[in-house]
Amino acid sequence: MDNKIKRIYVPMTESGFYILFCLQQPQHGYGISQLVRQMTGGDLVISAGTMYGTLSKMEKDGLIAFVREVEKRKLYQITALGAEILELEIRRIERLYKNSKGENANE
Amino acid sequence: MNDRKTLVRFFTIADYEEEEIWLREQHKNGWKLVKTVVPCFYIFESCAPEDVVYRLDFKNNTEDRDYLQIFEDYGWEYFNSCMGWLYFRKPVSDTDTEQDSEIFSDDASRADMIEHIVKTRMLPLLVIFFACVLPNFFRSIEGGYPIANMFTILFTVLLLLYLYLFVHCGSKLRKLKKKYGGDR
Repeated sequence: MDNKIKRIYVPMTESGFYILFCLQQPQHGYGISQLVRQMTGGDLVISAGTMYGTLSKMEKDGLIAFVREVEKRKLYQITALGAEILELEIRRIERLYKNSKGENANE
Repeated sequence: MNDRKTLVRFFTIADYEEEEIWLREQHKNGWKLVKTVVPCFYIFESCAPEDVVYRLDFKNNTEDRDYLQIFEDYGWEYFNSCMGWLYFRKPVSDTDTEQDSEIFSDDASRADMIEHIVKTRMLPLLVIFFACVLPNFFRSIEGGYPIANMFTILFTVLLLLYLYLFVHCGSKLRKLKKKYGGDR
């Protein structure tokens, strides 16, 4: 994998993580923000500018791709590269979580 | 036909937060912004006084339909663009949380916008300054030609204006960037 992409996205911002995670299914910007609100009990709100900026950056870097347009809204979905990055990030967070609980994460 | 008024106010590229506050105040006093005219004219229309949040995003004319659609989905009214700035507003009564009245929800994206301003506005100005204003200033000082004095005055004014803008915008943007972390 491109090391530069990896350096930029691992670790990623909380917003970035949720956006990429939600795009395992095709979704548009506002739809993602609604999902994230539900998933975090309203704690994480991703604003319009941040949403658009993150989506365009991820699309440019090849983590997500445009799938189709529905009611004037662009639907995006994760790419193979994006899935790889997401997997790396999930493993990093798992390790972080285990270590925070005092479990040995290096098994 | 509602009453209209035009105000003259100069905001530099680094003063967008002040501009947002000022526009919100105007709306509270019953004047909503209709459009802006380069370089510093603001045309307002009288309206019912209301607390409305104003937000400016700098896109340098690279926005597309999808961009505006996302803002619309979030409840933002897009009503004006001027010199790369896009103007949005949303009534406070339409917001549940404080974050609903923001267009950026993390510091990384706030810092991105500032970086975009610096790259597309400050750098070209610097190039013009060093390639054009500064050499002409020195040439007019040295030059013995008849209208040299006039040019000297003209370029001195330009030089001072430029220096003021650089110092003001440079330090302001640095401060904003610091406020928003900007390590990304």
